[in-house]
Amino acid sequence: MFGKKSWLIVLASVMMLSLVLAGCGGKGSSDPNQLTFMFRGGPDELKAYTAVVKQFEQDNPGIKVKAIQTNPDQYAAKLQAAITGNSVPDVFFYNPADLKAYTNNNILLDITKYIENKPDVDLKNMWPQGVDMYRYDGTEVGKGALYGLPKDLGPFALGYNKTMFEKAGIPLPDKDKPYTWDEFIKVNQQLTKDTDGDGKLDQFGTGLNAEWTLQPFVWSNGADWLDKTHTKVTIDDPKFIEALQFFVDMQNKYKITPAIEQAQTLDTYQRWMRGELAFFPVAPWDLSTFKRELKFDYDVIPFPAGSTGKPSSWVGSLGIGVSNKTANPELAAKLVTYLSASPSGQKSLVEAGVQIPNLQDMAKKWAADSSNPPANKEEYLQIVNDYGRPLPGQYTYNAEWYALFFTDLQPVLDGKIAVADFLKQEQPKMQAMLDQAVAAENKAKESKKSK
Amino acid sequence: MKATSDIYQEGNASMVKKRSNLYRKEKIYGFLFILPPVIGFLLFTLYPALYSVYGSFTDWNGLGQMNFIGLDNYKTLFTDNFFYTSMYNTFFLMIGIPIGLLLSLLLALGLNRKIPGTTAFRVIYYVPVISSLAAISILWQWAYNGDYGLVNQFLGLFGIKGPNWLANTATVKPAIILMTIWKGLGFSMLLYLAALQSVSRTYYEAAELDGASGFSMFRHITWPMVKPVTFFLVVTNIIGGSQIFTEINIMTPTGGPEYSSATVVFYIWQKAFENLQMGYASAMAVILGLFIFIVTLIQFKMNERSSFDMD
Repeated sequence: MFGKKSWLIVLASVMMLSLVLAGCGGKGSSDPNQLTFMFRGGPDELKAYTAVVKQFEQDNPGIKVKAIQTNPDQYAAKLQAAITGNSVPDVFFYNPADLKAYTNNNILLDITKYIENKPDVDLKNMWPQGVDMYRYDGTEVGKGALYGLPKDLGPFALGYNKTMFEKAGIPLPDKDKPYTWDEFIKVNQQLTKDTDGDGKLDQFGTGLNAEWTLQPFVWSNGADWLDKTHTKVTIDDPKFIEALQFFVDMQNKYKITPAIEQAQTLDTYQRWMRGELAFFPVAPWDLSTFKRELKFDYDVIPFPAGSTGKPSSWVGSLGIGVSNKTANPELAAKLVTYLSASPSGQKSLVEAGVQIPNLQDMAKKWAADSSNPPANKEEYLQIVNDYGRPLPGQYTYNAEWYALFFTDLQPVLDGKIAVADFLKQEQPKMQAMLDQAVAAENKAKESKKSK
Repeated sequence: MKATSDIYQEGNASMVKKRSNLYRKEKIYGFLFILPPVIGFLLFTLYPALYSVYGSFTDWNGLGQMNFIGLDNYKTLFTDNFFYTSMYNTFFLMIGIPIGLLLSLLLALGLNRKIPGTTAFRVIYYVPVISSLAAISILWQWAYNGDYGLVNQFLGLFGIKGPNWLANTATVKPAIILMTIWKGLGFSMLLYLAALQSVSRTYYEAAELDGASGFSMFRHITWPMVKPVTFFLVVTNIIGGSQIFTEINIMTPTGGPEYSSATVVFYIWQKAFENLQMGYASAMAVILGLFIFIVTLIQFKMNERSSFDMD
């Protein structure tokens, strides 16, 4: 089909092209008055952030922000593509789990000098738990230089259907004294019933998705996925077994949830919205939707407490970072602080009902304001301040080992595999992946040092 | 391609010099016309392909520098159970290809007859083909929903309690196969229909005179006559089936219960974009590319051997 010469031409063109392509990597915006900002969110969040960006432009005349927005599912791939293509936006959201990888590979800019001791940033007023998620000293997360600020903190609390409790004549849960596991089961059993008498259950205690709600049970029982050094998988701990067993029993033994064939997050979320569930997790980003859609009263409480007697939950977060290659580091950092730390930016985001305030004084006012449900918004602040933790996958170089746990979990939830057997089999598999992640991290660190 | 190469072969060295200006001009125009697709191919196919071959020999994480590590990625690959699982899943999902082809041929045979409403049916079967794959996947995700899904509501009419299709290792693959068959039916049907309509009536008339039965007419006339279409569909379906991704990613975002619906491309995507292992993902992509190439080559060889001409 081709002669020798044609092949040479093809090869030559490919080489030319690679040179051209290598040379044309964009580096955010080169115009000193323009920034590119890439972010993600649900429809309500995108709207709120677009409005705040407009506000930023008005407060800083002459500055233009080019917004690139996507839905949450596509964000990770899009950001990765931007990085690989050498066209990282000036300012972008990133998952704190990627902090180590992004700094080791020189993608994030150290913005400490634009943030600390600046008159327009009151760092002390921000949740330290949030800010510290974006500090990294080259070995440990939580200290050292700042590689971004939190977009928000997402504490996960347990909601309950107040109207249902009142109808059944059951005393409301105490917001300061979490249920024990036994109490939790009992209340749930009282509320799981057939209300219209057709022989089928149509009201349930709860319906929890393991990926997002197993953690509070495991942690409050004194167990965890990882040890303190974040290098060993500890799911074969008896306390872990106990917690997972309890979680599985809610469905299979106590039958306080919709049956296996019926239960998946999507469904239980729908059931909660229709008022068929007594308990369901409620995160801050749910509040605007729930205010609009729920036809019953609800409030939030801590998750039930296991053998430690203390409740537990997780706090999610998303960071706003600056590209290491930005042409306008100072301006980019200004946008970050505007979104994350300025009273005016925070005010509009909180009013849109998509997050809790990053500023502590504003958060206290927000929690005390009783005009918006739920009444016990204070619980969110307690989770942030007192008993919440980041998800385990966030501590490691990648979260593959952690994701594996939930991929393989379904037969356990279905009662087909015994909990103890599963955890014993799963531990070495997860450990092998974690070892790989640790090795990859060390390698990246070395290559950074050698530069 | 064929026509131009014929022209080159005509001329030998001595003739080339005598060629006219017009000829040379035409040659330049010809090149200009094929230039855009060639550039597109070089830029968007060959360059990334070669780049990922190179990447597959490195420990590239997709963010930083690439360090050459030789064949390490390939060695790991052959001991990686997830790779085998995802390969197996990909093959399993291809069960839908012969079923889909058979159904679409039957449909085409049906719609080729003069019955009222054929146009309406053709449209009905073709609508899924022109719909967005992502939208269709979301719709089917809901249809398969254990609680409120259409599929289980329908089964409920007959007193059957359907499973939660996408959360069950036993049902997730059949569920996805069913969807892909439905989605591909219209396209295959249309091609078969076109092929059927180009078969000359004279063959059937001759066969009828000889007293051939309906089935033997199908076997000896229709089937061989539509064979080129079958071949084309088998080849393109296998290439497409090896790369199935969107449906999986939308309907089972974690690869299904126990990874039972994760395909090779899904695994590649996970490694590349979630686990910072772009080099390893590239190695898998190279193996997948080679696999598709070899399978297609075998198909072409087999087709050559059993093909025939009717003159």
